[in-house]
Parts: sequence; C-alpha cells; structure tokens
Amino acid sequence: MNLAKEARDTYLGHVTRRHFLKSAGAGFGALAFASLGATSTGPRDPLTSRGPHFTPCAKRVIFLHMAGGPSPLELFDYKPELARLHGQDCPESLLEGKRFAFIRGIPKMLGPQATFQQHGESGAWISNHMPYLGQVADKVAFLKAMHTDEFNHAPAQLLVHSGSPRLGRPSMGSWVTYGLGTENDNLPGFVVLLSGGTAPDAGASVYGSGFLPTVYQGVQCRTSGDPVLFLGDPDGVPRSLRRKSIDAINTINRQQHEEVRDPEILTRIAQYEMAFRMQTSVPDAMDISREPAYIHEMYGTEPGETAFSNNCLLARRLVERGVRFVQLFHWGWDSHGAGESESLTGGFIERCQETDRPVAALLNDLEQRGLLEETLVIWGGEFGRTPMLENRTGSDNPFVGRDHHSDVYTMWMAGGGVKGGVTHGETDEIGYSAVSGRVHVHDLQATILHLLGFDHLRLTYPFQGRDFRLTDVHGHVVHEVLA
Amino acid sequence: MGLAFVVFMLIMVPGSGQPSDFSLFLGRFHPVVVHLPIGILVVAALLEGLSRRPSLRGRYDTGILALLYIGVWSSILAVAAGLYLAQGGGYAADQLAWHKRMGVLVVLFASLAYLYKAWPGLSERWLKNWERRAYGIAMGFMLLTVTLAGHLGGVLTHGPDYLSRYLPDGLRQVAGLPKKADIGRLQLENPAETTVYAALIAPVLESRCTACHGSNAQRGGLRLDEPEFITEGGDNGSPIVAGRAHESEMIHRIWLPANSDDRMPPAESPQLSVAEAELLRWWIDAGASFEELLPDVEWSPVTQTIVDHMGLDEIRTGIFALDTTPPDSMDVAQLASLGVSVTPLAENEPYLQVRCVDSQTCTDASGLQEALRPLSTNIAWLDLGRSPVGDDLVEVIADLPHLTRLHLQQTSVTDAGLAHLSDLEFLEYLNLYGTAVTDSGLVHLENLPALNSIYLWQTEVTDAGVTRLQSALPDLYINTGLSLVPVEPDTTGS
Repeated sequence: MNLAKEARDTYLGHVTRRHFLKSAGAGFGALAFASLGATSTGPRDPLTSRGPHFTPCAKRVIFLHMAGGPSPLELFDYKPELARLHGQDCPESLLEGKRFAFIRGIPKMLGPQATFQQHGESGAWISNHMPYLGQVADKVAFLKAMHTDEFNHAPAQLLVHSGSPRLGRPSMGSWVTYGLGTENDNLPGFVVLLSGGTAPDAGASVYGSGFLPTVYQGVQCRTSGDPVLFLGDPDGVPRSLRRKSIDAINTINRQQHEEVRDPEILTRIAQYEMAFRMQTSVPDAMDISREPAYIHEMYGTEPGETAFSNNCLLARRLVERGVRFVQLFHWGWDSHGAGESESLTGGFIERCQETDRPVAALLNDLEQRGLLEETLVIWGGEFGRTPMLENRTGSDNPFVGRDHHSDVYTMWMAGGGVKGGVTHGETDEIGYSAVSGRVHVHDLQATILHLLGFDHLRLTYPFQGRDFRLTDVHGHVVHEVLA
Repeated sequence: MGLAFVVFMLIMVPGSGQPSDFSLFLGRFHPVVVHLPIGILVVAALLEGLSRRPSLRGRYDTGILALLYIGVWSSILAVAAGLYLAQGGGYAADQLAWHKRMGVLVVLFASLAYLYKAWPGLSERWLKNWERRAYGIAMGFMLLTVTLAGHLGGVLTHGPDYLSRYLPDGLRQVAGLPKKADIGRLQLENPAETTVYAALIAPVLESRCTACHGSNAQRGGLRLDEPEFITEGGDNGSPIVAGRAHESEMIHRIWLPANSDDRMPPAESPQLSVAEAELLRWWIDAGASFEELLPDVEWSPVTQTIVDHMGLDEIRTGIFALDTTPPDSMDVAQLASLGVSVTPLAENEPYLQVRCVDSQTCTDASGLQEALRPLSTNIAWLDLGRSPVGDDLVEVIADLPHLTRLHLQQTSVTDAGLAHLSDLEFLEYLNLYGTAVTDSGLVHLENLPALNSIYLWQTEVTDAGVTRLQSALPDLYINTGLSLVPVEPDTTGS
C-alpha cells in the first residue's frame, strides 16, 4: 500500500468545504492579528507572553501540594469537642451512605493529636506542629470547608490539578502558561519540583499538558545532579555546534510546518530553542549554593539535597526570574496510622517539621522582595482526613491515623490578590462536615484563574469537537477571600 | 340626579389620612371605568372627522351627540374613582398630579363639546364668528387631553419605559433613549466619586417609597428622600438600625406577607424587586453609610451579581478611567526586540506590562530609553528589577505618566533617580529592595498620592526615614525586611 497516497486521501477526506471556509476565515483573522501584534514574520511562538481577560492581581503561582492529604484536624481545624469524644464509637448516623477508602465497620473517634493556639491579629487557629506558619498567619486566607469528589490519591490529585479525576486533561499550570505565555523565554513557564521520596500517585499527568500543545507541559527540575535530564551537551559537542545543529533541525521543521500546518511542529521548534537557552539559564536558576547564608538559615536549606526546603527556595528563585507556575509536590502526608512513618504521631510530625519553616520563610522572603503581592501561593493536599480513627491492622496498633475524607478539608492561599488573615468556611464540632462556606476543587480553580486575570468560563481549548476548560462545567469564584 | 351623585362622590373623597376600605374598593373601579370614556370620546371625534366628507355630512350627528353624552358621564365617573384610587398612595406625586389635571380637563372639554353639539349657537353672544370653530377646538383639546391622561395613567401603572421598552435600537437613538442593552444599567457621571447610597439606595427609595414618604406626603411622619430624614425617622422611630438589617423597621416591613397591613410598600403599590430588597438589606447590614464610595465597597456575592448586571463591574478608577490610545504595534515590536517581555495588561486594555527578562538581555539602556518613549502613555507595569538600570533610565520613567507598578529592585538606582518619580500620580507599587537609596531619596516620594506599598529591604534607609515617610503617607505599606523567630520543635501530641 502506498503510504503517501493513503495519507493524501485521508487528508482530502477530512478537508471539506466547511473546513476550507473555516480556515479561510481564520486565515483572514490571523492576517489582521498578525499585523496588529506580530514581532516577526515567522509563525507565532506559542510561549509569547499574552494578556489575560482582565487586569490580574497575581502574575505567578506557587502551588505547594502536600501529597497524601494532610490532616486538618492536627493543623488548622481546632475541634475541642472531638477531644472530648476521643475513644467513643462513631455514631452510625455519621457513616450512613458514606464510603471510605479503608474504614470498615464502626470506627472510634480520634481526638486531635496536637495542641492549638491562636496566631496573629486574625487569631487563626494553628497547631503546635506549625509554629513558623503561626508567625505569618496574617498573610494567609484559610479555606476550611474545601471538598472534593474523590477519596483516593490519584484521582483526587488529578481533580485538583486538571479538573477531572481521569487522565487526559491539561493541568492547571499548563492552562495558565497556555493563557499567559511566559515572561522569561529562557526558562520553562511551568516548573515542577518533587520531594518526599515518592512521585505523585497520578504520575506526571498531574503536571501534564493533556490535549494542549506539549510546550505547556510542566518541566520537572531535579534539585541534585543535572536539573533537567539530558539537557547538557554530550561530551565533545561544543555549544556552537549544538547551535548549528538546532538551527538545521528547526529549518527542516519550519518547512514541514509550512506543508502540513501541524501546530505541534511549532511546539517542537520552540522546545528546541528553549532547551538551548535553558542550558545556561536553568543551571543558574537552580543553583542555590550562591544564596547567602542567612537565606539558607531562613529556609533551613542544605544545597545539593532533594528536600522540600530546597524546593521552596528554588520556587522563589524561579518566580523571581519570571516563571509563571511553580508546582511543588511533597509526599508523605498519608497518615493512616498503619506504621510509624504514616502515623499522626510519627511521619506526620516529621512532614510538619520539614515543611513548616520553609513555607513560612517562602512567604516572608517573597514579601520582603515585593513579590508576594504579585505571586499567589497555594497550600494543600488532595483531600482531608476523617475525625475517626482508622485501625486497619487491629486493636493493638501503637500508631494512630485517620482515613481519607473527601467531604471537608483545609487549604490556604496567600499573596497576589488574596485577603490575608481571613478564614472562609466552617466545619461542624468534629470537623466531619462543612456547615458553611463550602468550596469545591473547581471553585478553587476558578478562583486561582480569576486572580490571574482569567474568566474561567472563557479560558478554553477546542478538542474533539468541543471547548474544554479547567473547571469543566463547574466552578464559582470565591469572592470572600479576594482582597 | 347623576350630577348630584357625582358631586356627592367628589365631596366624599377624603383629603388626607388613612383611606377607608370602602373608598379603596371604589377606587379599584378606576381601571374598569376609565377605558370607557377613552374609547367613546375617541370614536366621537373620529365620527366627527368622517362627517367632514361632504357625502357624509350630518349623517352621524345623533350618534356623536349620544357618544359625547355617555363619554362625559363615564369620564366623570372615572375621575371620581381615580380620586379614590389615588388615596391608596404609592404613585409618583408629579405624574399623579398631571394625570389628575388631565383627567379633569377631559371632563371639561368633553362637556364643552357636548354642549356645542347639543345647542349650536350656545355662546354666539360672546364668541361671535368663533362660535363655529369653538366646537372643533373643544373636540381637539378633548382628544389631546384624553391621550395625555391615558398615557400618564399607563406610566403610573406600568412604569415610564413600558411603551418604549421594546422599541428597536435605531428608533431609540432617534428618540434620544439609551440603547436597549443599557436599560437598568447605572449611568453614572463619575462612578469613582459616587456614594453607594446615591448610586444604589436612593434610586430604590425614590421609585418605591418617596411617593408617600417624601416631600409631598409624609405618611407616618416619615421621609425617605434625604439622608438626614432617614436617620431622623418618623412616628415609629428610625426605619434603619445601621449594621443590623434584621432589627430595622424598613426591612421588617418589606419582609411582611402581602396581606399584612403593615407591609411596605402596601400591596396595591408597585413592589420592590428581590434585587432592590436585597440591596437595602445589604446596605443596612454593611453599616448604612451615606458616605461610602463605590470603589471602597466590599460586595457580597449576591450584591456583586446584582451590580454586575447594572454595569457597575465596569466602574473604572485610576488609569483605567482615562481615555488612553492603544499602543502602536511597531513600537511594541521595537521594545520587544530589546529582549524585553511586553504584554498587554489585559485584553481590551491600552496598557502594557513590560519586564526586563534578566541581566543578560536588558543591557542596552539607551535603546531601551528610545523604545520606551513612544509607548510612554501605555506602560502601566514596568519591571526593571535585577537589570543594569541606572538613574539615567529612571529619568525616562518620569515621563511614563500612567505607571502604577515599578520594579527597580537590585539595580544601581540611587536617591538622584528617585527625584524623577515624584510626579507619578498613579504609582501604587514601588520596589527598591537591594538598592543604595537612603532616607533623603524617600523624601521625593512623600507626595505620591496613590502609593500603596514600597519595598526597602537591604537599602540604606533607616528607621527615621521610614517613620517620616509613614507620617507623610499613613496608609502606605512599608517593608524593610522580615524575619522568623526561631522556635524549638514541639512534638507533643494531644
């Protein structure tokens, strides 16, 4: 079978009169647009910096994803009543119609495994596990009645980052770079930093570009060794030769684009160009050893390690250089109590100690550099945890933990356009259900896009015959936390 | 007999005070009766018009006479019923007064026309040659006043834009009316300086309350047409308790069921829309301020939705209230070619955000200077942080009148450079961290009216300089660096 002929026939089969008219119309529009804002005669770079729908409050985002689902009952949601009920059987009425990941039968109630104090002028309740966050509490807006549709890690993480619990949708960072482009074309617009020893359960899809051009995909940078794998020149290939080879490849790619007009080719060209620039800019941005000692002291960083604190400092360095979206994942918050490392009295406290100071330092450091009011910082996991004890292994388990809980959990936001020192949403006496101010994951996404200057209803991309958006068919902006 | 009845009815119309149920009952017949004289008198006039044709002359005279007779009586009845109806209140006083006058004039002209028709030559003694025309004139005025009275009645019942509501936009323009899409939208001269009360609350009171609680009538001793009267209240005290809508008489009355005698506006009067009621409730809960300006308001989600539909979301302040020409694309391209990121602030905005990507790309200071110049009115956000910028470039910044955010951190800018910033009336954000500026440089910033936040970490600025700047600009947020207090780890559980 003649492949070329088949390809041609398929192509002609697709191009109908309707397609011709559509592309002709778009062609005229594109012509007009090009004359308005073109900087060159070549194809438009997909990463060109673009304006949002309305004047934004925040220009960049740092999303601190506490993977595993940190327990709000040991951090922010102070429930003295739950301490009183500690050890009692959970009333059956609370279990009716509910599904849990692990709890079976009648669990016992588990009192807060922390002591609480109010902090700052706002009087925010924060537990003894996060003393540093307490010092910056007035910068933070707590969303205490977040809720999600999923109670397992992978789908819940996908829902947070892509608006859908199933694979295939673009992540929030991809939507944002698709909408805004990048301010610094020497660096990726969307950078991902992992710590905690385990990659996100849903894999790279939580920072993937889905059906958007792959140029908007999150670029994972490593904190030790080469920041980006396979970026360095091979031994014996000087930078000038690398330049020439990329030029040659791009020329061929441009010719190919002239012919078949596949936008993915533009993506490829842009990526080759960016990779070349990144060879110098990324090692510079990722090298925290040049930071002064007081900064290391402040964040508690150790250059060369793969640690959450290093990633926080890197996040600041990246947004300082104009990266749009920095996504951090820190695994280890899945406090079931099945073993010491995942118990509320063991691993959970270690996670708090690993993250508390760097997060507070990040907020302070961004602020003193004048960046906090332009940078949106989001903290939170993919769901909350039950006020009931999860006791998977039997009654003589020395460790305590809680099961996944999708009905209510706490997230917080700070910086760009967010009102500091407020709490939105309230839970019942035991932190099991929301009583007011519920915020769904899609509402959070709508709010994040709003702060970046987007109407979440209008940031769309056509795919398989319909326009898709991050918030699917949902989402309401949470005006209560906007400054 | 009939005349006596009408005179009796007119006398019975109470002057003021609470109308009796019976008089309101009679009043409700006004819309039933009122269409009789309108139709009958118009037909009389039309027949008279037809009789002008020579072939039809005199043919309808008996009919016309009968129609005028019935028309006169039915119009008298309509006027009487109308006077009763007006007792119920709730109608705009001005329009009501004109409607009354027109109604009485209808009776007058219809009676005149009837008299001339019944007894030609009635007033020949006084009018001489005009006698024959007097009939026509009476007929003409009758037709005119019927039209006007009818129209005013319609306006009173259905509201002023009832007729023109669905007029096509082209004709609306000819008639000097706002576009159809603008109906219900606020038309404010200077929204940034308008109070919430004037923009949203007074119009509601004006359209729903002041007919009975205003300058013309003060039912219950209450006036709601001026802030001082509202605060002062009426016989039942003040209708509002600032900050507590649920304790406010006004809100109670609005929430009462329709069959309650205390409900306001009374059931027979035009009612508040849900949105209007919500605006009143929200305004009282928010403190019932007569001074708060629109840009300072914190909307609730519901009021946000309401005012968005009224077009308030497009209230523009600062540089966004200005009429600035969009940037020229060639100038933008020129600036971008210097390794600078140039982005529109938002779609449909004439303003740009400009950012030096990093120290390697932003080295051509004089080129930058040249490229910024043609875009001077368009640049709102300028980020020259971490770039080789010096005081000479800051001179160009002085000519960027619409600058709101300026990053000069970690540059070689000094006090001399700050002197160029003193006229930036829209500047809200100034980042100077990591520069060599001192207290004497800050003095140049003391008159920046819009300045919200300034970042001075790692500069030569002292506490004295900060104190001085703070006293000049009390609302300014000044950051000189932050630190965390070391905490010993606390691992205790519950």
